[in-house]
Amino acid sequence: MRPPAGTTDLPVLLSPTAVLRQHDAGMGDPCRLLGPRTALFLVVAFSMAVAGAEAATAPAAPGVIASLWKWAPLIFQGFLFNLLVSVLAMAIGTAAGAILGLMQISLLPPVRRGSWVATQFFRNAPWLVLLFYCMLLLPFEVRLFGLVIPLPAWIKSVIGLSLPVMANVSEIVRGGVQSIPVGQWESAEALAFTRRQTLWMIILPQCVKRMTPPWMNLYAILTMATPLISIVGVQDGMTLTRAALSAENRTELLVPMYLMLLSWFFIYCYPIARWTIRLEQRFAVKG
Amino acid sequence: MLKTILAGAALALALTSVADAQTLDKIKQRGSIVVGVKNDYKPWGFLDPSGKIVGMEIDLAQDVANRLNAKLELIPVVAANRMEFLQQGRIDLIIATLGDTAQRRTVIGMIEPNYYAGGTNVLAPKSAGLKDWKQLKDRKVCAIQGAYYNRRVTQLYGPELVSFTGIPEVLNALQQGNCIAFVFDNTLIDSTLSSGDPKWANYEMPLVTEDEQPWAIAVPLPELNGPYGEFMKKVSIDWHKTGKIVELEKKWGIKPSPFVAEMHQKHKAM
Repeated sequence: MRPPAGTTDLPVLLSPTAVLRQHDAGMGDPCRLLGPRTALFLVVAFSMAVAGAEAATAPAAPGVIASLWKWAPLIFQGFLFNLLVSVLAMAIGTAAGAILGLMQISLLPPVRRGSWVATQFFRNAPWLVLLFYCMLLLPFEVRLFGLVIPLPAWIKSVIGLSLPVMANVSEIVRGGVQSIPVGQWESAEALAFTRRQTLWMIILPQCVKRMTPPWMNLYAILTMATPLISIVGVQDGMTLTRAALSAENRTELLVPMYLMLLSWFFIYCYPIARWTIRLEQRFAVKG
Repeated sequence: MLKTILAGAALALALTSVADAQTLDKIKQRGSIVVGVKNDYKPWGFLDPSGKIVGMEIDLAQDVANRLNAKLELIPVVAANRMEFLQQGRIDLIIATLGDTAQRRTVIGMIEPNYYAGGTNVLAPKSAGLKDWKQLKDRKVCAIQGAYYNRRVTQLYGPELVSFTGIPEVLNALQQGNCIAFVFDNTLIDSTLSSGDPKWANYEMPLVTEDEQPWAIAVPLPELNGPYGEFMKKVSIDWHKTGKIVELEKKWGIKPSPFVAEMHQKHKAM
């Protein structure tokens, strides 16, 4: 195993990238540097919003914190639902995307071209539009030979979100496979591996490492996109926040209430982003 | 192989379209009635902190369920999807501040007599000095997306509508001066103004209430004159006769609507 770049203390002439990396290391890990600072920013922003709202509150009305606290459990349930949708959409999208991605490197031209078209189509379509299509085109229940399978709105929205995920995973897989040096294929062939064996035993295991960071990035983006489902009528954290605001009917709660939801998303997604950066550094390939 | 799949798909499709069983049977079989209600329209239908939907229309829905001896299941709807849900059969009944218009009557079955009526008015700061609807011309007026009165007001008085999805967003915009008035139901403006919140002390409902629009509960159009529609009509008459709606207005702190009072008088005598 080659030691991670930039960690050697031998007096060798380092490449410019390695020098930069060492410089960065001297400045501290960007993740670690950003962590507390960003957290502090979040806390400050939140308290400022609450303080501002508190000042605007009528004396008779209950305090902003009290109102937020009252609604927090319900909205948090909605937030958990967002996470559930994100996990399911990611699972479906990853499974379908992996297949689509492998089809993109198929040796059969029709398969390769067909999967390329599908990937490009879903990758370049707006997520919300795909969601709307799924909501409108899928029936609310499927009847197959007397068996009634209900398709509630939230399942449709999971399907809707998994389509762009599928296309993006497909590109990640294709890119991952193509990033493996051609020598690997040639050596495998020289050792009499079949194409399938080469792919499964030599190429893909090397790809997984490279594909993980972009895949995690995609998951974080997907999670932050899940409030889109509130627009098509699914009762998620965003919808519940809005309903809570309607029930309270107090304009000064608008900013703190939405900020509360935002912070939860941030607290969930930010560690994923940090972890991604760390993995990227660890798996970084020279040149 | 392909043929089998096609045949299967065709069969599934055929089954879906035949499947519209009579709603009353469906309710009995299921043991529950599914009602589409609002969850962002206080006090007609809104959330309480435990996540339950409450409000005047939910009480009405509960009454329907009790009469059918069924459990009540609520599905939150918005203006944009309630009619589709009813047509698709995802809900059995709409009780969701649904304005009874001729255009909507071609799509869903509106139950008569109407259970409620609201007019259109505006909420505006006293400093705006509004006296006449015509003063709204070319001025920025806030509105709720999808409300039935938006189109009429736009056509008649030509304001520049600024639409929002939720009431709190609109009220916020109004208070920040993004618009000079908010076109809305007169009953809800009344409730807002009479809530005693000092924020609204300098606001008024300055115009003459227009376009009294009856609200209706709705059933699927093909069943309007069937047993289900007839049953709902009887329920609606009974609500007016017994003064149920007058009572509920009091319970939820809604200003008594002249329409409801009139209907109560009319049906009590019968």
